[in-house]
Amino acid sequence: MKGRIFPAIIVLAVFLLPIIVPSPYVISVMCFIAIYGSLALGKAVLMENSGIFSVAHPAWFGIGAYVTAIATIKGVPPTLSIGLAALSVAFLAYIIGAPLLRLKEYYLANATFCLLIIVEIVIGNMGSLTGGHEGLMGIPSLKVGSVKLEGDRDFYFLSWGLCIGSLWFFHNLMRMRAGRALRTFMYSEAASKSMGINIPQYKLRIFVITSVMASLTGSILAFWLHFIQPAMFGIPLMIELITMVIVGGGEILYGPILGAFVIMWLREVIQAYLGKVLPVMTAEVDAVFFGIIVILTLIFMPGGLAGWTEQLAHAGRRVRGRFAR
Amino acid sequence: MNLPSQIIQYAISGITAGSIYGVIGICWSVVYLMTSVLNFTTGEFVMLGGMLTWGLHAAGLGLLPSSVIAVAATILISAVMERTTIRSVRYPSARTYMMLTIALGAVIKGSVLLKFGSETRKIDPIFGADVLHIYGATITPQVICVVGLLAIVTIGLSWFLNYTLFGKALRASAFNSTGARLVGIDVSRFRLFCFGLAGGLGAVTGIVTAPITFTGYEIGLLTGLKGLVVAIVGNWTIPGTVGAALALGLLEGFGAGFISPGLKDVFALGIMIIVLIVGTYRLPLWRRHA
Repeated sequence: MKGRIFPAIIVLAVFLLPIIVPSPYVISVMCFIAIYGSLALGKAVLMENSGIFSVAHPAWFGIGAYVTAIATIKGVPPTLSIGLAALSVAFLAYIIGAPLLRLKEYYLANATFCLLIIVEIVIGNMGSLTGGHEGLMGIPSLKVGSVKLEGDRDFYFLSWGLCIGSLWFFHNLMRMRAGRALRTFMYSEAASKSMGINIPQYKLRIFVITSVMASLTGSILAFWLHFIQPAMFGIPLMIELITMVIVGGGEILYGPILGAFVIMWLREVIQAYLGKVLPVMTAEVDAVFFGIIVILTLIFMPGGLAGWTEQLAHAGRRVRGRFAR
Repeated sequence: MNLPSQIIQYAISGITAGSIYGVIGICWSVVYLMTSVLNFTTGEFVMLGGMLTWGLHAAGLGLLPSSVIAVAATILISAVMERTTIRSVRYPSARTYMMLTIALGAVIKGSVLLKFGSETRKIDPIFGADVLHIYGATITPQVICVVGLLAIVTIGLSWFLNYTLFGKALRASAFNSTGARLVGIDVSRFRLFCFGLAGGLGAVTGIVTAPITFTGYEIGLLTGLKGLVVAIVGNWTIPGTVGAALALGLLEGFGAGFISPGLKDVFALGIMIIVLIVGTYRLPLWRRHA
């Protein structure tokens, strides 16, 4: 029980926050943190814990959001359309991932980069179905049975529920046989092969699982904002996710969420203080600051914030141990 | 326009696009072979060349001086980038380098957006805008200039790498950097040189293509990525890259003309994915890369 007190306090604090701080601004920023945090978590699981360098995460996020939105507008019940989106993303990730995951490192990254751009262009060009580049408006509200989920506070609990749930899920998964197999594979392919681990199968499974997670996040985003646009799922989001993973530190699973927290609040600060000084304020301008942060983190703090806190905790344990004697 | 002249027109636009991709592909492979860094800022150098020339020209300088200054500035930026960021990474790995250069690309792109705005810019053609007619298809001198650039770069670089001492030393250090160090080659200087060369070539490409395809802060990414497509398909060699580039350009030209202009990038990138996947299987006459 000893190691679980600190996480429990954090989870409690997260769920008590809307009651303690009822500001709608804080709640909506925290919603975005949960959504991007769970995306970054999936990306970190692929990139830093399984050695699958895929950058196509925003594409699955976008496909999930679009399938949910279109299905709901056509009259499918919202909960069913979330399931439909998850299923179609799982199917797509399976049939695309099976040949794609033969590639490694750079080559996989490039192929998924291309996939991301293809998805963005195709969504933008399917005007009659997806609303084109202008985006899709008027997505109905999320109804579960007779309960209607509406507004920032409902989605705060929903998105943080998903975020913490997926953290718990991946934390357990990474300690299971499958997770250990993936980690072994990342450190030494030859060693894991010689131990008889079926690498392609594990890789494909984790790829599909993280894609489905991204799709669920996309569904939540679509129902929350009632509006989606291809530009929300493009390269700027990819750079943002990379920033979160790098700054937070990807090898420790709570790192990406920590990174999302820092980056999103930093962005709010940038928007509040530099919005008046700079001529334009778009995702590309944010990317300048994020890019600088990524470069500095990679050079000076390769483990990220989570690596740093782990070091701190380790030092704390050593000090405590010395006094206990 | 009747069908034959239409075909010629599409072929001309395809070859033009192919030449652009070819030069950019060579920029990628120069850096990759020497330093094994996939330099995702290559496309941004192309953009930087065009936009800096436009900015200096708009500030009152002549076209030629502003292009020369733009190329020099891009080379300088590229070299400073290599010295300050890429060399100072503590635990270098393919992943780190890739994220580093993507971040650097985002910084360059956003800075250009802040400085020059988001509008599409156009540079005046260097050799005038007279149009030549061939069988009903039109050709501008700028197109000939682009194709000429590819020819000069290909022939010049091949000569340089195969027949000069400096080029031979460069190839040696790309092939085996420890061995090159042992025979007294300063490998670190060559890394710097390769980044500078890629920056300069990219900037020249950006300036030459700006009158045809226009330039803007966001062109770098897709152009650069297509350069990477042809470099990978061409297996990082100069003849392979040029062949792949022309094939991709023609495919895109005919695809845009006969199928759909909006989806031509989808073709190019889809082909890249397919070629990458096919490359992982054992095939005759094809070296496995992954």
